[in-house]
Amino acid sequence: MPEVKVKEIKTLSYARPVIQRGYANQTLHVDLSDSKISIKPVSDKIKEIFVGGKGFDLWLLWNAVQGHTRWNDPENALCIACGPLGGTPIYPGSGKSIVTSLSPTTNSVMDSNVGGYFGPYLKFSGFDALEIQGKTEVPTVILIDGINQQVRILEMNGLPEDAHGISETLTNHFSEGRPRNISVVCTGSGAKNTLIGCLNFSWYDQRRSRSRLKQAGRGGLGTVFADKGLKAIVARWDTVTVALNNPADGAVLKKVAKLHSQEIVEQDPKQNQMSMVGTAHLVTIMNDFDLLPTHNFRYGRHPQAPNMGMEVYRLIFDKGYDGCWIGCTLACSHGVKDFVPSTGPYRGSKIFVDGPEYETIAGCGSNLGVFDPFHVIEMNFYCDTYGLDAISVGTSIAFAMECFEAGLIGEEHTGGMDLSFGNRASSLDLLHQMAKGEGFGKIVGQGVRRMKEIFSKEYGADRAILEDIGMEAKGLEFSEYMSKESLAQQGGYGLALKGPQHDEAWLIFVDMVHNFMPSFEQKAEALHWFPLFRTWFGLCGLCKLPWNDIVPADNKLTPEPAKVMQHVKWYAEYFSAVTGRRIGPDDMITMSERVYNFQRIFCLKMGFGRREHDAIPYRAMGPVTVEEYESRSDRYDQQLQDVYQVDIEGKDTAEKVKMLRKRREERYEQLKDAVYDRRGWTMTGIPTLDTVRRLGIDFPEVLEVLKVHGVA
Amino acid sequence: MVRIADREFYWREGMTVADLLEELGDPYPYAMVRVSGRLISRPNFDQAAVPNNSEVFLIPLISGG
Repeated sequence: MPEVKVKEIKTLSYARPVIQRGYANQTLHVDLSDSKISIKPVSDKIKEIFVGGKGFDLWLLWNAVQGHTRWNDPENALCIACGPLGGTPIYPGSGKSIVTSLSPTTNSVMDSNVGGYFGPYLKFSGFDALEIQGKTEVPTVILIDGINQQVRILEMNGLPEDAHGISETLTNHFSEGRPRNISVVCTGSGAKNTLIGCLNFSWYDQRRSRSRLKQAGRGGLGTVFADKGLKAIVARWDTVTVALNNPADGAVLKKVAKLHSQEIVEQDPKQNQMSMVGTAHLVTIMNDFDLLPTHNFRYGRHPQAPNMGMEVYRLIFDKGYDGCWIGCTLACSHGVKDFVPSTGPYRGSKIFVDGPEYETIAGCGSNLGVFDPFHVIEMNFYCDTYGLDAISVGTSIAFAMECFEAGLIGEEHTGGMDLSFGNRASSLDLLHQMAKGEGFGKIVGQGVRRMKEIFSKEYGADRAILEDIGMEAKGLEFSEYMSKESLAQQGGYGLALKGPQHDEAWLIFVDMVHNFMPSFEQKAEALHWFPLFRTWFGLCGLCKLPWNDIVPADNKLTPEPAKVMQHVKWYAEYFSAVTGRRIGPDDMITMSERVYNFQRIFCLKMGFGRREHDAIPYRAMGPVTVEEYESRSDRYDQQLQDVYQVDIEGKDTAEKVKMLRKRREERYEQLKDAVYDRRGWTMTGIPTLDTVRRLGIDFPEVLEVLKVHGVA
Repeated sequence: MVRIADREFYWREGMTVADLLEELGDPYPYAMVRVSGRLISRPNFDQAAVPNNSEVFLIPLISGG
């Protein structure tokens, strides 16, 4: 263990409130610039409108920043919240935290959810949300000690630079012999040298006697954290029980929790086997359906993909319980024991790797043209320990590789590095360079949007092709699903508030594979309902996986199997039982709709959130190149003829690419119209006055933002 | 014999997943099945053989990510 020197900067002693029906009814504010710690009450009105979790985060952030605030201004706030249901140890997936801030890659509002123990420990210590503003020059740790009822700002010198070292050191330092009482939030050395830094949230694995890590990956929240001068935030709490949330109806809570838990125990072995392989089960499925991104989203399938499918990871993952929250029966946070990296500062050492999950396998594997499970594990480990978002790392390197192969950039730009697809050594070299802020890795670590700027303005690359193949929207890199053949998923990505992340709407299967929504209106309805329902998990402190990754045996017989209404009803009962606020499934949508529309207007406040910001690169819609078209020419020829009634006789491939593009781009614009209409927005993508009044979010400052943008 | 949940089906030489699902008569558009521990996707239903004495799980996959 490194020798750590601790200097007290500020301590606030407080009286910890008893949690009332899932709420602490207060939030914690820390200003690093003047070392000020304060506690703010949460009103009933705020609970009614914003519910908790992401809703509370957004309200705090809205009040912290102005329209001109940039991500690295001191007033930008980093907010972390749990939710009223968070911390329940008997209901699967009830330990999520939500993080929000202004993002360095999008310059707008970012949210990212994450497992681990921090959110519940924060709440049980007395705070529904934590808001951090300001900056400091000294390496700073915030300790929220719910046991001793103190919040402390500490200067800590001598801490390691990497996330695994920080988490382990601080867990030992503050545990007083009970490491399970500690959860650490930190990033790593790469966050300050890139714009795609992630946050690591720890949970203590009793059986393996080690801190395990989960990531709030998207949008550079780790970079905001590092820019503020933070080394870590530590929450300390004692034993977790059902009674801690003081639920309104404990008997109903126990009944519904038991139903859902038992169903997972019974059905998971028959369905996705997530308790054994996590989300790795998706790799071969995506590959079979031509949906696994390979070579920068050019193709959806590769013959070597099964090399890193679930059967391989089933053998590699360390056996044992892997729940990132206490009592979760899904328990999908698997890891690899005694892995030995071949590169970087841990080369030759035996380490434990948390993951990989599907996104990392696709992003740092197939999308780079690498089909080696051990390469993915090494990339996974270094992304986490450097504090880098594995999705943005994968999508950014994939973009650079395609640019290299297409001759848009060359070895004179990469520092002599061969960046062709499949070059595993180069991808690892780039990752280490990113972490240090050196070489070509420093440029890749800025993300796809800024690479497009640099490649076109400084290297003379063709801007149009960069726009077509650079897989970002709103400044955020795409997560790892092919959306070319699913219009609904194109909307799921393009119309997502924060950028193309699948946690708003993952509609590929119900759209493309099951064809449950053939019409525009049905797709628009799905792009209304699914993002709202998924938002609800973020309000409450829940993981969405128990909702629809494992489903009831008779779910297929229900009128809308994609919604898994049995589970939706259970969640409504769960919420009612904890908070005492009686709700049904429709109420859940209205609760989310308030926060969702508020977030859209928040984007507007920051200069985004209009129709033009919902654009996606053509690579997400269809084949950009002749080579892509010809790889699936039967499919595209048939569509042009049968769907669009186009005569393709005598046309060469380049002409057919153009014809298809015109029609697919038109379809995407039509989809936007249908979705905006369904959501109660103008055709410029802004919530109407009627919508904000119906939802009760017509605060004066909200109306002012709308007025500035012509909605009055 | 091939077993799906509580139902049993006679196995025959060359039986594929597509044959089995036709015999089952379930109209749900299954994307995946697991046959004796091996995942098989719909694009491969026509070619994937079902071994005798298999246990088959129909996977109602609707989500991911």
